Amino acid sequence: MLFHTWPFALFFLIVYPVYLVLKGNRFRLPWLLAASYFFYACFNPLYLILIGYSTLVDYTVVTRMAKSPRRKMWLSVSIINNIGLLGFFKYAGFVTENLNALLSSLNISYAIPEPGFLLPIGISFYVFQSMSYTIDYYRGNIDREKSIIAYAAFVSLFPRLVAGPIERARNLLPQLHKTPKVSLQNVADGLSLFIVGLFKKVALADYLALYVDNIYAAPEQYKSAALILATFLFCWQIYFDFSGYTDMARGIARMMGFNLMLNFNNPYLATGLSDFWARWHISLSSWFKDYVYIPLGGNRKGTFNTYRNMFLTMVISGLWHGAAWTFVIWGAVHALGRFVTRELERTPFYKEKVPKLVKQLFVFAFVTFAWIFFRAESIGDAWLIITRIFNSGWANPNCPVWALILIFGVWIYQFVFESKRRWIFDLAPVRIGLIVAMILYLVLFAPSSEQGFIYLQF
Amino acid sequence: MKLNGIKTDVNMKKADQARIPFSSNNIRLSAHEWIAAAIVCSALLYLGPVLWGHLEKFDPGVDYRLPYELGNDYWLYGRYCRWACSKYDTLVVGDSVVWGHYVSSDNTLSHYLNQNAGKECFANLGVDGFHPAALGGLLRYYGRNISGKNVIIQFNPLWMISAKHDLQTEKEHHFNHPKLVPQFFPEIPCYKDSFSKRFSAAVERYMPFFSWTSHLRIVYFENMALPNWTLEYPYQNPMSAVTLNIPAPNDDLQENVSWAEKGIAQEDFQWIEPAQSLQWRFFRQTVDLLRARKNTVFVVVGPFNEHMLKPDGYKIYQKMKSEIEAWLRQNNVAYCIPSVLPSELYRDASHPLGRGYAMLAKQLFENESFKSTILNEGD
Repeated sequence: MLFHTWPFALFFLIVYPVYLVLKGNRFRLPWLLAASYFFYACFNPLYLILIGYSTLVDYTVVTRMAKSPRRKMWLSVSIINNIGLLGFFKYAGFVTENLNALLSSLNISYAIPEPGFLLPIGISFYVFQSMSYTIDYYRGNIDREKSIIAYAAFVSLFPRLVAGPIERARNLLPQLHKTPKVSLQNVADGLSLFIVGLFKKVALADYLALYVDNIYAAPEQYKSAALILATFLFCWQIYFDFSGYTDMARGIARMMGFNLMLNFNNPYLATGLSDFWARWHISLSSWFKDYVYIPLGGNRKGTFNTYRNMFLTMVISGLWHGAAWTFVIWGAVHALGRFVTRELERTPFYKEKVPKLVKQLFVFAFVTFAWIFFRAESIGDAWLIITRIFNSGWANPNCPVWALILIFGVWIYQFVFESKRRWIFDLAPVRIGLIVAMILYLVLFAPSSEQGFIYLQF
Repeated sequence: MKLNGIKTDVNMKKADQARIPFSSNNIRLSAHEWIAAAIVCSALLYLGPVLWGHLEKFDPGVDYRLPYELGNDYWLYGRYCRWACSKYDTLVVGDSVVWGHYVSSDNTLSHYLNQNAGKECFANLGVDGFHPAALGGLLRYYGRNISGKNVIIQFNPLWMISAKHDLQTEKEHHFNHPKLVPQFFPEIPCYKDSFSKRFSAAVERYMPFFSWTSHLRIVYFENMALPNWTLEYPYQNPMSAVTLNIPAPNDDLQENVSWAEKGIAQEDFQWIEPAQSLQWRFFRQTVDLLRARKNTVFVVVGPFNEHMLKPDGYKIYQKMKSEIEAWLRQNNVAYCIPSVLPSELYRDASHPLGRGYAMLAKQLFENESFKSTILNEGD
């Protein structure tokens, strides 16, 4: 049940009015929880066992932690349990595959049977959210949540359940306890976010996917220009896809009176790799910063340790995205980019003499290059794409000019939005015109789409 | 954390709301602005198809029939219906038999009916590739203008020759025009599209804007959504494809060869009895719908190619035909079950060749019920 499909529209048309009726009384949270569990069960009813288990363990752990002097032990239980869940469902296949490759290289004929289960949708998101609650409680940053219903609703809140944002307990739990204020402006804001997200997903991401999927499915058949353009288009596809999902999630939550955190902040205008990660998937990068990078020592123990911590954080972040070596390399390439831009930013020349636009284009080019590892089916494919980009010669790429016009339109909007001329977008006719244009484009030109979101697979 | 360029104070009243930035863009409307946007969108969605009808040239002449490749263009069908209702007394509706699959447009049933009448009073509203379930939907949702007219509707028994034709297989079977059949009730066993697709189809029927966008896609973009079209023509301006000219019908499909010459053998069809047939049920509903819209309805059953039937199948077909006839009589529906045409005048199980249509038209003009109902003779 994806946000841009009719089943979700019907689901929301039932859930929302009841929610509005119940929002002032004690049935609000049970209703929210029931709706969220129903939403999740629509993907697969068995997922409920998993989310129920994860919720119950972390709730119990914190309850025990509150009464026990062995707080660290209980924290370990939570972390081991959560990492164990992720490891079992997400990485078991990857580990088995690599162990089998190792056994084979040692001429051992035994092969470990591969696990046959599928990755439950959204597990990486809600496991991280749940884990942040136990860690924050351990650190004394938040109070214990006494109501299991409220806690379960926090873990499973349907707008953000399957692809984030990964909310922190200190932001979302207090909102769940308060009677939500659903004003007309909340509804208007929610609609604005939802339409922008829908446009990003259906009109842009799904469109770009048509070209990208063709080329990445058989990179050996294409030459330099097509591979460069496919990578450029994928760079925008994944942004539109994931930020579109987040916009819709935030819009739905906003209509219900919840403020979810901003997850994307025009990442392709970043002037450095650190800046990029402060703008891309903000809820995840801040999670890794708070719960991995800083506990490892952050930048407090010298240059070498800083870079080591940065490298480890980025590689783990890569692995979070998927159980494959391509994601590990993607994380490592980003770590390298962070080292380089961090050092560059320390030089007066780069800091003061290099124009902002040049920095932005440099970062964009680097990030685009790194996406090759993220999108390619295997390391072999990624390498093939890179080598063919440089030595396969020219052939007509047949890339739709219309797609490029749309991308550059969005890019220019973002540049203007972050410039002194952003007042142009404050004008009501411009804002209304953009919304009308998006709605008309969606109903006129966008294909009927039931294509899933890229980040659901993580 | 940096949040460059984020404006947090637009229309924000509460401090706790301002704490979390609204978005990384400024596309944010107030409730009043949303109302303005909704009015503009609704006006454009309503006016788009209306204005388009004035801009786009559509001048069906004598013996016009919807081009084969525009069979999915329900918006154009609705437009053609409106045009035909304003020009003709009698509309001939049905599937490819009425449309004239193997004959040129001047060899169809409506053409010969006009020839017999000596004037232009029969319009060919048949559509190639239709079946009773889809035809019912087409007339219900896109043929709303057919009211207070004479309507000749043809029933093709071909749709009852097997469970597959009758849409009754439990296994999924892709048939023509699924958007026009009932999406939820009554259930069609072989129709297994997702809930989303069915719901979209159900919504589209009530919003002319959507069928108009399909029209644009079919007529100008080779039946592709714009994104897919731009992949086929990456450097072409989509606007240049919109020529405002609807393709003229062509007679590419015509063949003047009989079924026997074509080497088609006799067959033993697994007939579905009328009481169990979904297609017959949908046809009856269509007749009821047309009558409820104050049309004078005349049903033509067949002419099925009985020469193709093996003896056992022939008996079953005769029994089935009499059951159909009984229903028509019981319900006071004017009808004609024409006698079978000579074998050499059929192209296959149900399609006559040109001379077959001429003979069929002659039979109708000699039919008393036809004379009194459609020609207003006698009585």
